[in-house]
Amino acid sequence: MSGVAQWEAEFNQSNSNAASGPSIPRRAGQSALFDQEDDEPMPDVNVQLQLQEPEEPLPDETPLEQLTRHWMNERHAPDILPAQDVLLSSLLDHIRRQSDTIQLLRGDPSTSEEEHIRIMLAQTEVERVKFIVRSYVRTRLFKIENYARYIIQNEQVQTRITTAERDYASRHAHLIDRHFYASVLQSLPESQAGLDDIPHFIMPPMVTEPDTTRAVFAHARRKTVARTLEGKTIDLDKGSLTLLSFAAVADLVANGDVELV
Amino acid sequence: MSETRQYGELGTQLIMESRRSTQTDTLLKYNDSLVRSIIREQRDLEKAAVALVLASADAPSPPPALMIIQTAIARNKRCLLAYHNHRISFLCTLYWSLGASLPPLLSAESTSIRAKLSPHEVDYLRSYHGSVMTFRAEFSQELDITASIVQPPKDLHVLVHVVRDCGVIQTESGSIDFRKGHRSMVRRSDIEHLIVQGYLEEV
Repeated sequence: MSGVAQWEAEFNQSNSNAASGPSIPRRAGQSALFDQEDDEPMPDVNVQLQLQEPEEPLPDETPLEQLTRHWMNERHAPDILPAQDVLLSSLLDHIRRQSDTIQLLRGDPSTSEEEHIRIMLAQTEVERVKFIVRSYVRTRLFKIENYARYIIQNEQVQTRITTAERDYASRHAHLIDRHFYASVLQSLPESQAGLDDIPHFIMPPMVTEPDTTRAVFAHARRKTVARTLEGKTIDLDKGSLTLLSFAAVADLVANGDVELV
Repeated sequence: MSETRQYGELGTQLIMESRRSTQTDTLLKYNDSLVRSIIREQRDLEKAAVALVLASADAPSPPPALMIIQTAIARNKRCLLAYHNHRISFLCTLYWSLGASLPPLLSAESTSIRAKLSPHEVDYLRSYHGSVMTFRAEFSQELDITASIVQPPKDLHVLVHVVRDCGVIQTESGSIDFRKGHRSMVRRSDIEHLIVQGYLEEV
């Protein structure tokens, strides 16, 4: 039957769309009607999303591929990377729209069995995208907790995080300070009750800072040049994989020339 | 207390506790008496330092003994802070692994954890929870950022076995009464937190 062939075609299409976030194919036969009545036909959101993104000379990426790259970078970098709020909020909007559409179709008694299967695929995809978003947000949150005091003292880092993250950092730094004060510092003699000691001898500094000299595997997305802290330059060919200290590639990661793997 | 103890010996003991806790991946009971002893040592050291400074006010350079005392003070203080910091980061890890909810940590019945905490640590957890919830609200329309990030979801539904009664749970497709011993096929996202908290088990 032609129905099966069509289903497979649409399935393949939704599979190829899957990389850029789930999408529910329009219903055959009804879409025209929907369009005529201007009854908010499920728009092809993927196209819209891509239009919002300025064109990059780098390999083309769907929003989800971008997020996956930023997610991997964030998980491998010792420091906090610039926040991707535009990308993230467009994906979140997309998730919400897809969920609403799913709800609508599920509640519709005229939805056929075949469509239910497709809905399920789309739903699974939504869950998987949510997983990446969650992991990405939590990775940043973990770093923010660890470096809370460093962040609130460093304006340059504050430009890299979102307002919500900045609020969280200052709340967290305050919480830690209060806990230290209540548990230890208030009982010590006054001269010892500060948290801003200048470290003696080999003691580490009081404020934990990210170790930007940590080694990372840098995968070049296009030909570029890394500059180490000692001033040496290293050529990175497209597709090459290099073990470098993070400080050498921090800028390249930020502008997308290099991804961490 | 014996007077032959070296400076910083108690601090070392405290750090050893943190170390043991990391190695065994358990939280030991808050060592209130040791913390107090170190704080007492700090006060004594402070007095000794002040006395030394007064005694050597006329000397051209401060006596070497002062340096030793100051180092001991700084070291003890770092040991104290490190001990407390280690404990709260352990607690936070535990908090997240339990699906960012306080009751399993603080309820009186789940005996183990709460009894090991100092009152300040309980306060800390409460405020921490508040702070996390404020952050979570930023995303509440789309997703719950406190859900598990251990395994990416492969299926929408999951077959679960009920280990402990957990009453009626509202799910997307109606409410389900989970009774001990029952098995049901449910949407993973509806009940994931119950798996994390040990009410349900995946079959």
